[in-house]
Amino acid sequence: MAFVPGQPVTAVVERIEIQKLFQGENLILGFSIGGGIDQDPGQNPFSEDKADKGIYVTRISPGGPADVAGLRIGDKIMQVNGWDMTMVTHDHARKKLTKKSEHVVRLLVTRKSLEEVVKHSMGRP
Amino acid sequence: MNDSGNLRDSDIQKKIDHEIRMRDGACKLLAACSQRDQALEAAKSLQTCSTRIMAYMSELQRMKEAQVMQNIPRRSSDVGPMDDRLPCKGKVAISDLRIPLMWKDTEYFKNKGELHRCAVFCLLHLGGEIFDTDMVIVDRTLTDICFDNPIIFSDAGPGFQLHVELYSCCFEEDYSTGSTPRKLASKLSSSLGRSAGKKLRAAMESGPGSPVSNGGASPLLLPVPSVQGPKYHLLAHTTLSLSHVQDSFRTHDLTISGNEECSYWLPLYGSMCCRLVAQPNCMTQRMMSGWLKVRQCGGDPQSWSKVFAVLKGTSLFCYHRQEDVETNIEPVFTIGINKETRIRASDKDPHSKAQNICISNQYGGEEVTHTLTTESREDTHGWMEAFWQHFYDMSQWRQCCDDVMKIELPSPRKPAPITPKQGSLYHEMVIESSDDLSSTVSDILAQRMQELELRSQLGTSPTWMSLFEENLPKSAGFTRQCTPRLSGLSPSSPRATHQSPLSSQRSPQLGLLSSDASLTSDSDSHCSSPRSHHYGWPEPSSNLSLLSSSPSRLRPRTLSLDAKLSTLRGKGYGGTFQCPCQPPPSSLLAPLPMSSRPPRSPRGAQTTLSCSSSTSSNSSSNSEGNHSPESSEGVSFSRPSPVRRSLRNLRARLDPRNWLQSQV
Repeated sequence: MAFVPGQPVTAVVERIEIQKLFQGENLILGFSIGGGIDQDPGQNPFSEDKADKGIYVTRISPGGPADVAGLRIGDKIMQVNGWDMTMVTHDHARKKLTKKSEHVVRLLVTRKSLEEVVKHSMGRP
Repeated sequence: MNDSGNLRDSDIQKKIDHEIRMRDGACKLLAACSQRDQALEAAKSLQTCSTRIMAYMSELQRMKEAQVMQNIPRRSSDVGPMDDRLPCKGKVAISDLRIPLMWKDTEYFKNKGELHRCAVFCLLHLGGEIFDTDMVIVDRTLTDICFDNPIIFSDAGPGFQLHVELYSCCFEEDYSTGSTPRKLASKLSSSLGRSAGKKLRAAMESGPGSPVSNGGASPLLLPVPSVQGPKYHLLAHTTLSLSHVQDSFRTHDLTISGNEECSYWLPLYGSMCCRLVAQPNCMTQRMMSGWLKVRQCGGDPQSWSKVFAVLKGTSLFCYHRQEDVETNIEPVFTIGINKETRIRASDKDPHSKAQNICISNQYGGEEVTHTLTTESREDTHGWMEAFWQHFYDMSQWRQCCDDVMKIELPSPRKPAPITPKQGSLYHEMVIESSDDLSSTVSDILAQRMQELELRSQLGTSPTWMSLFEENLPKSAGFTRQCTPRLSGLSPSSPRATHQSPLSSQRSPQLGLLSSDASLTSDSDSHCSSPRSHHYGWPEPSSNLSLLSSSPSRLRPRTLSLDAKLSTLRGKGYGGTFQCPCQPPPSSLLAPLPMSSRPPRSPRGAQTTLSCSSSTSSNSSSNSEGNHSPESSEGVSFSRPSPVRRSLRNLRARLDPRNWLQSQV
């Protein structure tokens, strides 16, 4: 998951579609994010590369929409509804996730285990 | 008695005529001038003249009533004691008036939109004298309204009442006053936007339709002309008296009239700072002088020294010759006459013709008595009378008689300096320019860190700081023991690959610095809201240093500012921040070794710091209505008030050391 800024990124991603849930007046997704280009990447416990300023999932509410959809803690979010999340500020990411007009978010997430799985499956022809 | 009454009568009448002429002149000027500044000055003189006229008229009324009362024959029981003492008059001076403003921080940093400006001035009213200060234009870049020039009232008794009134008038540049007919103006105001229309209507308020009240005091013999042009409204007032006199600056409360809806409204903090001094005449003038023979008790009974004595202030100065007084030669000796002095007339001395006067003072435990004698009984009586009067004055003027208070002479009024229109406080912030701005900033940071280190050496740092201090040697900002146990990765990569911790602390602080400096006026609330704690990545102590050392540079404020600020902010921010709907889950946070209750430490400017930097930093989300509850996670789990929580959230969000997490 390490990447060199300016160079294209290749990653194995999983598509996750989360249906937002109405909770009172608010639409919630049921997880928390951390990271962003304006945040200190060294404090991210989930990233493998401590220079990675991407957006990571830091907490999942059990039973919430994200949990149900298959999002896992530690996932790095690459795209939200087509918007890139690898080089955004924290607030920008939050905004893209919490648009009131959208009731569904389609995420592209990656995690270490995905890569392993792919490698594993490639290793065994 | 009647003659002097008539004299004063005509005196006042002359003054009234004079003021009326001035007022007519001001009206004509107002009608004729085209420039806004001139119009405001003319309106100010108009206001002053009107107030003076009213004061003189009421004075006249009172005198007439007194005359009428005197003419009625009185019964003997009505007659009061004839030897009523009147205390001496004195000079009262007020200077360095400062009225702080309390702009919302959104106002401070709002660079767009027109500057809402008001023209203000103060009217000071004591006895029969009314003075006005210079006019000051106030807009949101100003933090205080200052009137520096001292104003001196010469004929004040000890029971004086000094009324201070602050008048303000809305100053709009785009709309001409009064020339637009009212119908058109209301049409315009309805077709313009709401705020623009409001302003226009406010400008139109000064038009001919506005009623002029005369306060119901004395019947107005002359009609008050209603003029077109800017009109001043009373914004705040207060009354000062002898108890407020002190040889230093004091803060007084203002009574504010008007509310936010008025066009002339300014957000006053509610108090006024000024220096009010009084010089009673008994301190500055010679109350009594004459030739005396003085003998010190305990000395040779025949050793009378003939001196020329002058009673002034707190002493009786004795000179060899009368001319010495003028030529400022030191007196031969001085006898103190103050509140502790005791004076009595002694029994008739068989040797002398008149009674002796004995003056006793306590000089450091010892009692020293001087005996005076004069040529004749009338002189003795005169001196005794003078002493009694002096004591009476001192008792009336109280603290003003301890020492002579200095009154500065007012400097000649300079024309108001034309300041170029500044955008915001940032323009006024001066940083000594060196080649490299970041080095300047890091110098400032280093200085602040030193400040904090000094302070922490004194033991004022909170108890949990020790936790950080021991962490520092290991790895700044990152302790093994605090790592939450996660299912995923554990941070194991050495920190050496990154920027050194100290410098990484420094660079993010740059963003905070500018907003901090601009806050020097909006200052340290002693709001001890707990420091936000995030998840388990403790900040090094130097971070705290930056934020906590700022109070040392800020102007001290009374504690009530704290309450005002927190309510103001609570209103502003509590609405936009909503606390997380679900209670923060536990598994990650349970292993935190630190107590969940963050320590409460006096963190002066942090509250204000965060609130201002919120508007300046890129997280503009707090002001927009966001539907989903956003808060930063990982703050401590104590349940503080919503205001505190939102403040903490805010700070947590904006502190770059915190690794921000948002719930979506």
